[in-house]
Amino acid sequence: MIRHLRIGMLFARNGLVRELSFRTNFIVTVISEMLWLAMMLIFVEIIFANTRSVSGWNNYQYLFLLGTHFLISSLFETFFFSNLQRLSELIRTGGLDFVLLKPAQPQFLLSFERVDYAALANAPLGVFLCGFAVYRLGSPVSVVDVLLFAVLVISGVLTLYGLMFIFSTSSVWLIRQTSASHFWFYLTSCARYPAEIYQPLVRGVLWFVLTFVIPVLIVANLPANAVVRGGAFQPWLVGYALAAAVIILAVSAVVFRWALRSYRSASS
Amino acid sequence: MRKYWWVFKIALADRFVYRADFFLSTFLRFTPIITTIALWSAVYAGGDRKLIGNLTYGDMVSYYLIVMIARAFGSMPGLAGGLAHDIREGELRKFIIQPVNYVIYHLHLRMAHKSVYFVMATIPYAIVFWWCRGYLPGWPALVQWLPCLLSLVFAFFLGFLINMAMGLLSFWFLEVTSFMFIFMVSQYFLSGHQFPLTMLPAGLREVVTYLPFAYETFYPVMLLLGKCDQAEAWRIILGQAIWISLLAGVVAVGWRRGLRRYAAYGG
Repeated sequence: MIRHLRIGMLFARNGLVRELSFRTNFIVTVISEMLWLAMMLIFVEIIFANTRSVSGWNNYQYLFLLGTHFLISSLFETFFFSNLQRLSELIRTGGLDFVLLKPAQPQFLLSFERVDYAALANAPLGVFLCGFAVYRLGSPVSVVDVLLFAVLVISGVLTLYGLMFIFSTSSVWLIRQTSASHFWFYLTSCARYPAEIYQPLVRGVLWFVLTFVIPVLIVANLPANAVVRGGAFQPWLVGYALAAAVIILAVSAVVFRWALRSYRSASS
Repeated sequence: MRKYWWVFKIALADRFVYRADFFLSTFLRFTPIITTIALWSAVYAGGDRKLIGNLTYGDMVSYYLIVMIARAFGSMPGLAGGLAHDIREGELRKFIIQPVNYVIYHLHLRMAHKSVYFVMATIPYAIVFWWCRGYLPGWPALVQWLPCLLSLVFAFFLGFLINMAMGLLSFWFLEVTSFMFIFMVSQYFLSGHQFPLTMLPAGLREVVTYLPFAYETFYPVMLLLGKCDQAEAWRIILGQAIWISLLAGVVAVGWRRGLRRYAAYGG
């Protein structure tokens, strides 16, 4: 455990060194992340110029949801995204051999080796957006709300990590899989909207699946509900979200071991 | 040219190798449509407006469905990034010493990819479009068929040239992956992929609809959606043709200038 913590620190330092040696790249990445955020904000403004509410979410509640989404996905992208993207590649090229040979827990090495500091830029922007939304809504936020929010954000990041890890691991069976980044794109483009919009579709089956089977809809919605939509917030979902995160992490570990049995170590 | 015909055939065979991957990604491609239907249904229900950006709810859903068709023609995943990689890693050498033009080679590669895509994706597309038939405006009038088809073919060439031009930047800048991301984000919005450009405020709309991105997705979609009369249809085709010639010129000149700077790094 201590040893893995030390390895983790080493990875974090390495990432910083790498980032600082390509400074222009860092700045351009930060700018492009902000551009993405700006475009999403324009989209929200355009929507709310044409309507009063979206499935019971008003303009600033929606902004808060977007801020939460940006915070969570920024944390995920910082710590996990490039690692999981690399995982499919390692499986395809046989590079996974070198990870498996190392005297440390392989899932740990695969998940933490790279830290993408540039992606972290969106985290404070997300928090700022949430703060702005709360200010405009004018509703009081207690310390308990903030703590609950933080816990739910972390469990959301871990949920996404588990789902993406399972997806990347599946390249053992699908061989060439160029779609890890696509999968992430689709996952987030589905999860950054109010969960309620899915309820009228196919008698709520889709909403049910995305909430209880592949629980992407609770990731950003639940923390946002907890802070700015007291009326729609169901406290039991907090227990559910935490349990879901734990279960998905466990499943990801099982799937990884299972996948290793089919891993063919293909290389040239 | 016989040799490019072979490029086409080999690329065709290559595409059929990874079928599982293909079906998974084709399926995933449609997931945003579900979100779109859900979101816009909620947006129209949340206000009193029947028309948003001059489109009804049915139009809006159809718009996003038809965007999928236009994107199937215009999107070139990995083209700009691939060229950047070939330049940076010195991979371009093997093309320079062969009697093959890199740009034309890749044009044939992409035509093969698209052909396979159209064949394999017809069934999933047909299913989704049939399922959503209630939203769709019906087939375009017979006189519109030619401009509709042309606009899609031109969207393919526009997509190809825009991405090539982006990739060529690698001759001048060593590290371009971040530029690629900015480029992708801008394209996503400016082409009308995220929302119909008619929703933009007037001043902004004037500017954005003159850019090549709009001619790559937004205009062909409006045309297929039946929102353009005959004169408007041909104006769109003309606009596409103008952008294609301009960009073809940029790519040709950029390619020649770039090669002069090219240092063929790597062993």
